[in-house]
Amino acid sequence: MPSLPKKRVGLIACGGEELVEGTLSRVAIRLVLEKYRPEDTVTLCLPLFLAGEKGERAFARFYPTIAVDGCRKECARRATETFSAPVAGVVRVDTLLAEMGIALRPAWRRALDEDGWAVAERLAEAIAAQVDGIVGSRRGTQPVVMSAGPGEVMAVDAPCACATQVPVSRIDIAGQEMELIALMAIFDEFYRAGKRPGDGLGQALLEAVRIYNTIPDELLPATRAALEREYAEFCAGRSQA
Amino acid sequence: MDDDKILVISCSGVGKAFGMASREAMYAVIEELRPEATDTLCLALLTMGDEEAKARVRSRPTITIDGCPKMCARANVEASGGNLAAGFRVVDTYRRVRELKPQSVAMPDEAGRQLARVLAEEVAAEVDRLHATGEDES
Repeated sequence: MPSLPKKRVGLIACGGEELVEGTLSRVAIRLVLEKYRPEDTVTLCLPLFLAGEKGERAFARFYPTIAVDGCRKECARRATETFSAPVAGVVRVDTLLAEMGIALRPAWRRALDEDGWAVAERLAEAIAAQVDGIVGSRRGTQPVVMSAGPGEVMAVDAPCACATQVPVSRIDIAGQEMELIALMAIFDEFYRAGKRPGDGLGQALLEAVRIYNTIPDELLPATRAALEREYAEFCAGRSQA
Repeated sequence: MDDDKILVISCSGVGKAFGMASREAMYAVIEELRPEATDTLCLALLTMGDEEAKARVRSRPTITIDGCPKMCARANVEASGGNLAAGFRVVDTYRRVRELKPQSVAMPDEAGRQLARVLAEEVAAEVDRLHATGEDES
């Protein structure tokens, strides 16, 4: 298999700086990333959908994504679906806390006290449950990493997808420019395995590409031909280098 | 929401300690240092093209604070046609006070708080300059 970012569940928080719920959305996903489901989750800053590049915009096409929104505007869900792909799940912080009978404190917008951390933990458990529903986890909702205490649980190496971008290429398929995830990684894998154009590689390339991309049935022959063409150019470039 | 205030918009900083510092600096300005003169709005609203949010950044001087080289806050304000008065980067402040290296991401640690405070003072000075020059008038 090509060397690619590990397939995990993507978590997108609205992060709403104006709202207590925005802060809770952000802290809750950090808890899931670092404490509850560190092996199964990754995140991306929502504003990167606009400020970033095509790698960021491919995020939700590569990772099944849960949007964690603070209010009815649902910026996280809408941004993900507008710029990337439909989400696999949504957690609405405001409605969930209302259902729990939890009253928010304005001071939590900037800093969580002990009670605020407890609320964030409950949200994190709800998000982790959705993660489990997607990945089919065998775990319960107990954290897998113990914390030092409120405000001290945050490591700095939890997966952030802006540092491990989903690799995207654009190629012409039957007159349409299409984005394909992982194409260069697949080409590199084939090249290093000694596979060269002319070996009838089209079908093998197509099967590898389809692991990471959805190709409409009617475009399969054209995609196979485009992959053979692009791989020939890739190999020519490598041999010149 | 007061529509005569200078807007201070931080990056959403969900993945990096400098993002956390950018947000803490923003809160220090709008809640402690210049609460009478400044306000914030959700960066995600700008990303989504919310009309009310776009109208606010177009009508009011806006200061951005970014935590990483992607410069999301600045890029989103500029993409919204905002009235960008100044753009700060956490890394620029950090280079002057390298002993203040933040480690935590979700909530600031002591170094993050101190770094954010230094940056917040710089932002507050820019707010004062905009007042003094009349650039904060609509």
